[in-house]
Amino acid sequence: MTEARRDTVLARIRAALGDRHRTRDELATLDRRLNAPPVGVRPKLHDDPLSQFITKAQANLCTVERIASLQMLVPAILRLLPPPPQKPDISVAPALAHLGWPADWSINFGAGRRTEPLSVTLAVAGIAETGSVVLRSAPASPTTLNFLPDMHVVVLRADDVVAHTEDAWARLRAEGGDWPRTVNIIAGPSRTADVGGIIVRPAHGPKSVHLVLCDS
Amino acid sequence: MLVNGKDFSSRASKAPADAGLQQQVSNLKTGFVAARARAVAALPEYEAMRDAGAAIKDHTLANLDFYLERFERAVVDRGGHVHWAADAEEACRIVREICTRTGARTVTKGKSMVSEEIGLNEALEADGLDVVETDAGEYIVQLAKEAPSHIVMPTVHKTTNEISDLFFEHHRRHGFSERVTDAAELIAQVRSVMREKYFSADIGITGANFLVAETGSNIIVTNEGNGDLTCTLARVHIVTAGIEKVVPTLNDASVLLRLLARSALGIETTSYTTLSTGPRRPGDADGPEEYHVVLVDNGRTKMLSGAFRPMLRCIRCGACMNHCPVYLAVGGHTYASVYPGPMGAVLTPMIARHEAANELPHACTLNGRCQQVCPVKIPLPDLLRRLRHEQWEDGFIKGRSRWGLGVWSWLATRPALYRVATRLGVQVLRWLGRSRGRIGHLPLAGEWTAGRDLPAPQGTTFHAAWAKRKRQP
Ligand code: SF4
Repeated sequence: MTEARRDTVLARIRAALGDRHRTRDELATLDRRLNAPPVGVRPKLHDDPLSQFITKAQANLCTVERIASLQMLVPAILRLLPPPPQKPDISVAPALAHLGWPADWSINFGAGRRTEPLSVTLAVAGIAETGSVVLRSAPASPTTLNFLPDMHVVVLRADDVVAHTEDAWARLRAEGGDWPRTVNIIAGPSRTADVGGIIVRPAHGPKSVHLVLCDS
Repeated sequence: MLVNGKDFSSRASKAPADAGLQQQVSNLKTGFVAARARAVAALPEYEAMRDAGAAIKDHTLANLDFYLERFERAVVDRGGHVHWAADAEEACRIVREICTRTGARTVTKGKSMVSEEIGLNEALEADGLDVVETDAGEYIVQLAKEAPSHIVMPTVHKTTNEISDLFFEHHRRHGFSERVTDAAELIAQVRSVMREKYFSADIGITGANFLVAETGSNIIVTNEGNGDLTCTLARVHIVTAGIEKVVPTLNDASVLLRLLARSALGIETTSYTTLSTGPRRPGDADGPEEYHVVLVDNGRTKMLSGAFRPMLRCIRCGACMNHCPVYLAVGGHTYASVYPGPMGAVLTPMIARHEAANELPHACTLNGRCQQVCPVKIPLPDLLRRLRHEQWEDGFIKGRSRWGLGVWSWLATRPALYRVATRLGVQVLRWLGRSRGRIGHLPLAGEWTAGRDLPAPQGTTFHAAWAKRKRQP
């Protein structure tokens, strides 16, 4: 049944294209195009990649903070949290679990929860062209942390900022291993204009996105 | 698919009097047209990108079997499943079977025009499933039991007050008993309702802006984050997509994504671009257990074979409708088709049967603005003209129109006679409008003059004016 449906549709496509058989050369050309994807015309950057990344991210309504090293991350997060006596209750991607988080905080090192005040995740790249960050799913990097929190804190190494989306693909390809299950490119908080054309933040995802750029 | 193109004229004659609709549609005219113009002006590479985008699509379509098979292999290699559906009914059956097999009760949906095209919600609801659209706009039209009136902004026809009424009526069971009229509070209700749905969903259905043969991924773009939560939190993720959605590589998708965001909303990128590739991997803390892609033909191979192939380049940005004087005058619902505006006027007759969507290709003034703004340079006016021609050949155009056009074409191929007849025509019209300069009722065109006056001709015929100009130095 399934096979029959597949054959019907493919036969219709081939008939529509004139039932022409591809020569071995033609097939090789198509394969080459897939294995070494050509890069087409891209928007020129107006600045060096890192500066343009920051400008664009801010224009997307992300807040941006720079820290010298990952050791400064915990204090940076503390500044984002409501003041004591409230005990911090946040989610942190397991990829960042080793950073010396205070023992008295309640921290979920796992998938996102239904109510999620703040999550901290690690991006694999930043894209200067649009001021976006790229996050890939992995056991140490659950996708739900990107969408469920009210505030999404994304940690990004300054070295990982690339010029264009195509450069981010190249990085992910170069990582080897299998292509990730989920790749999220994120350019600011969640929003909608479906009620009366008025822009409202948030819709279903985070109300705010805070980028922590780490220099080393 | 809801197609009732036959009543287009009667619906169209009512639309200009609908004040609410006119107000909403004017937002499109001012907001999106200006935003797109700004975004395009800010990008010197834009024209080159349009050419690149059209070329990528043409290359893919010319090798569609190759790329779909590669896409399929990449999905299967990563533990996903690909299904092929020749028509709407088969596509619905495939999804229903997955729902039955997995014992599903609740289905969350990200925005998918193809699922609207194949009537998926109705099919699943008939099986007793709870089907929830998660995109705020799609959810609103679902509650209102309406169809989207625009492919990018489904609620462009709805006022805030109407939405307020709707939520007041439907959200009591979710614990919202107060009536709210503020956009932010209305959306907060949607957010709260959907949080519960995402976590309880058995099946999450999304569309695909692109399918990538290189990796076996589907790409969706959203600003809300709804499609992204839909495909991550449900036990099973099903993608419904037309066969024309495949592109060779991620780099090709990047070119088209740039065109899409600028043409649809006048922005450089949406908040979210999400690639999904297969089911949950070992050790993953989230993600669906099953991943399915349903590839839908439903009339597309018919387009692929002939003069309508360029229509399959369409990336569903909606720019052609935002710039269409007819769409802006009558609104999306008048088309009574999932795809309205210029792209819909071509697609609908190709996807549905000709007779059902007979009138749509005529809802066009051939002004050409749609083609000028189409990011993948689809020659929409040519395609519409061609459809009209085919309808004529097939005898779909009947009665007075056929007789009138027949007389006209007989005359138009006889220049001397044509000149005499038009001169006579001008004189008659001038005589009819002699008192006011306008004609309030014209025999044989009563429907047309019922809504407006015909200005009486001011000068002579075009031929006479042309001849006179040529004589002048
Ligand atoms: S026909 Fe062109 S302008 Fe219209 S929706 Fe499709 S891609 Fe956009």
